[in-house]
Amino acid sequence: MTDQLPLDRDAAAEAGPPLEAWEVFRREKEGDPMRHGGSVMAPDAVLAMHYAREMFGRRQESVRLWIVRRADILDLDDPDLLQPPLDRSFKKPGGYVMRGKLAIARERSGQSKPKPKPDRPRARVPGPAEPRTNGPKS
Amino acid sequence: MTTIRSSLAVAVPAELRSAVDGLLLSMADDEFVIGFSDSEWTGIAPILEEDVAMSSLAQDELGHAAALYELIAALRDREGLDADAIAYDREPHQYRHARLLDHGRGDWAMTIARRYLYDTADGVRLEALAGSSLAPLRELVDKIRREERYHVMHATAWLERLAARRGEPRDRLIAALEELGPDASTVFAPLNGESALVEGGVLAEPMAALEARWRAAITPVFVRLELPMPADVLDPAHGRTLHGDPFRWLWTEFTSVRRLDPVATW
Repeated sequence: MTDQLPLDRDAAAEAGPPLEAWEVFRREKEGDPMRHGGSVMAPDAVLAMHYAREMFGRRQESVRLWIVRRADILDLDDPDLLQPPLDRSFKKPGGYVMRGKLAIARERSGQSKPKPKPDRPRARVPGPAEPRTNGPKS
Repeated sequence: MTTIRSSLAVAVPAELRSAVDGLLLSMADDEFVIGFSDSEWTGIAPILEEDVAMSSLAQDELGHAAALYELIAALRDREGLDADAIAYDREPHQYRHARLLDHGRGDWAMTIARRYLYDTADGVRLEALAGSSLAPLRELVDKIRREERYHVMHATAWLERLAARRGEPRDRLIAALEELGPDASTVFAPLNGESALVEGGVLAEPMAALEARWRAAITPVFVRLELPMPADVLDPAHGRTLHGDPFRWLWTEFTSVRRLDPVATW
């Protein structure tokens, strides 16, 4: 009954094996990619699986989960490897202007410019943020 | 709803109706009471993740209870009788859950011990209904079993961890098993009209045979973890009656909102 058990979360956590973080990836429906859902704390892999199931699957919102010990993830955030200081704009396709070449090619083959499909509105998909320092020079 | 009502009322021969009613009520009350007991952990479980897990398990049990009460309402097929009325509008002595579920919430070890004993016993009972001649029950049991599989996994994971950790966790688990043990097999307390249920193909085997199956299933786990096996039940004839004070308290809790305004529409 409610007043029988004084429970101290911290004390309970300290008494057992240490909790560690597990990252959970989920597939919402068949054909979708695995996407990062969030993380759970658990003392071992079995309970991590249980908690991931409860946090990311109990409402039937996932068809597959990957549960990965955070410590096992190869973490790369070295700026020299990922955000080198020199201009890299020449590695981006934006450096090649295709519009004129495409128009000439179309004219030569007698095709008109394809119209946007009305049944598929072209939603703007947010891509990775453009690194401002290396952006194309204006 | 109409189809379930009419199909069930037709499906159950008149001479079996009271026995089927008793079977369904025992199962529904078991799920209802353990669901409410476990929901007492919401907000105070050992860690946040377990809080969500236990609350979710409790909701599953209440969902199973609701579906079983619906079947009972269909079987009784009386005007104005719905699942909520069966679930909430009875006095404490009219509930037919097993005495195993009558010990109050207790500590975490008590909750895990009760969950393990109940979930494994319930699993054996559900297996005996998987081929039931009563189609609506068979179909419901098929769905419930798929969820109960996870419940047994969860209870087993915790039972193993508490048992393996010498000192307070193991001591508390053994104390809980010793307290609950003599009531554990009340899940298999004899039912009225049990032989008719078996002859009619509603239930595969008598409860005594199911208890033997359950004991055989859990013995290897108890031996491996060096835990005390549940003792024989002291008073099997009253295994689902004579509920004590902890249940009276729980009943006061879970009926409190309903009793505020019994005719309210939710």
